[in-house]
Amino acid sequence: MAMLPEELLKRLKEHAEYFPRKEQAILLCLHEVQDYYGHIPDFALKEVADLLELSLNHVEGVVAFYDMFDRGEPARHRIRVCVSVVCNLMNSRKVLEAVRELLGIAPGETTKDGRFKLIGVQCIGACSEAPCFMVDEDTYKFESKEKLHEVLSRYT
Amino acid sequence: MRSYPATPNIYAETALNLLLKRAKKPKVHTIEEYLKDGGYQALEKALNMSPEEIIDWVDKSQLRGRGGAGFPTGKKWKFAVQNPAPRYLICNADESEPGTFKDRVLIERDPHLLIEGIAISAYAIGANQAFIYIRGEYPAGYYILRDAIEEAKKRGFLGKNIMGSNFDLEIYVARGAGAYICGEESALIESLEGKRGFPRIKPPYPVQYGLFGRPTVVNNVETLCNVPLIVGMGWEEYRYIGPSDYPGPKLLPVSGKVKKPGVYELPMNTTLREVIYKYAGGTLGNKKVKAVFSGALDCFSAEELDIPMDYSPFGFGGTGTVIVLTEEDDIVQACLWVAEFYAHESCGQCTPCRVGTHEQAHMLEQILHGEADEKVFEGFDFVNKHIQPTSICGLGAVAGRLIRQTMEKFPEEWERYLKNLKAHA
Repeated sequence: MAMLPEELLKRLKEHAEYFPRKEQAILLCLHEVQDYYGHIPDFALKEVADLLELSLNHVEGVVAFYDMFDRGEPARHRIRVCVSVVCNLMNSRKVLEAVRELLGIAPGETTKDGRFKLIGVQCIGACSEAPCFMVDEDTYKFESKEKLHEVLSRYT
Repeated sequence: MRSYPATPNIYAETALNLLLKRAKKPKVHTIEEYLKDGGYQALEKALNMSPEEIIDWVDKSQLRGRGGAGFPTGKKWKFAVQNPAPRYLICNADESEPGTFKDRVLIERDPHLLIEGIAISAYAIGANQAFIYIRGEYPAGYYILRDAIEEAKKRGFLGKNIMGSNFDLEIYVARGAGAYICGEESALIESLEGKRGFPRIKPPYPVQYGLFGRPTVVNNVETLCNVPLIVGMGWEEYRYIGPSDYPGPKLLPVSGKVKKPGVYELPMNTTLREVIYKYAGGTLGNKKVKAVFSGALDCFSAEELDIPMDYSPFGFGGTGTVIVLTEEDDIVQACLWVAEFYAHESCGQCTPCRVGTHEQAHMLEQILHGEADEKVFEGFDFVNKHIQPTSICGLGAVAGRLIRQTMEKFPEEWERYLKNLKAHA
């Protein structure tokens, strides 16, 4: 377990101890890894597998299955714009356009400085506030490009 | 109190003051506030009853599952306790249906109501370990529940020998990671075991073979929040809430083209018309209602607005989701969003669903953009009909349903696109 920094490893071990069975902590651990590195680096898969006594194959399969996990290039923050039924009805395209104008990225792309990645996602359960989006763990209603700019400026 | 990630400021209104008694206010209610309102008294009462008696009360209350299927909760519990211990209770907090955001209001604003509901239900079915599986997109809810569980433990409402009853209960909170399918109870169980969320073939049902192969009850957040009400007031009184055949409060998440979108707590017999005009303030710009989507499941036309919320074949049951489309909205375009949702969320286990949902969305897109010929429509029509009978779980079973309903209820909308179909070369 040499490759993971001490503070991350400590949190992963807490997750591994939390549930009645170790392997149940896999999603909590992967969230933790992604929050730390801005993506899921290959070497971390092996570390998580060893910690939870799972095969590397199993961990890879789980990472591939769940949408929120990203093995692509790292990004410090993830902007998740809802493009599901309700947000589309309420014109979520203008959210994507505003992000493109502010940051120059389309869904699936990351800014050159690695600060933001934009992702179009299915319903995030804030439909009365449609069109809505998340930045990392925070959920917001889209009001205007100016307001979006102000929100994004909090994520450095 | 610690700060949590930003949550949406969802408007909440209640005509009954039961489930949303506290949660109508957009704040996290502490255990002190919950106790001041008589919180955890239903748990104390329950622990002085026998588990059989509580199951009997819940059965007599006629509570039905609020997660979509509407299965009688008491019956589910009775099935589970026929099977030997250890048993598990799982709270399904993986609310991910488009337009559905009712459970998050309970979780984020009144976590102790849910915890009390879980504690009573676990006692009733004889589970000493309970799990809350919350979707990955609700991180605030995850932290709020973890903290609330610690608070409840400190006060002796969870943990060992709860209130001197000899009953022990630990509640664990698990996070999903962006897979709609994990709201399907057997997929949820797989995910909670640390695997991909592939639905299992049923039977056996979770009440027979659930988490780690043990009898498991999976109940929705709103369902479990009804349990302290039933135990607190007694099943007889609970039966007086709303219509006698479908009693109890219901949370309806209302969104789309209405003036006051939000979560409304209403009696079960409320009609779509009442929901839209009496509660949600009517439509934006006072446009005519064209259709109501109940999530990505059913479509109702403007002629059907007098149907009530209930679990009969004539009601709009399910999660109670109300998405309002008006005359400005294009039904076929909206069908594409629904098709894209299913294509994105198919778990990939059954080939007809994995391939079919993508083909359905792709061909519908061609039709919508005037790029389709007759063969494409034929293919679309075929796929739409055939995902349903060839899938293990409910997702495939309904992936074509809403779209098919719109073809029957809005033939003129479809005709606008179909008359442009090119002849097959």
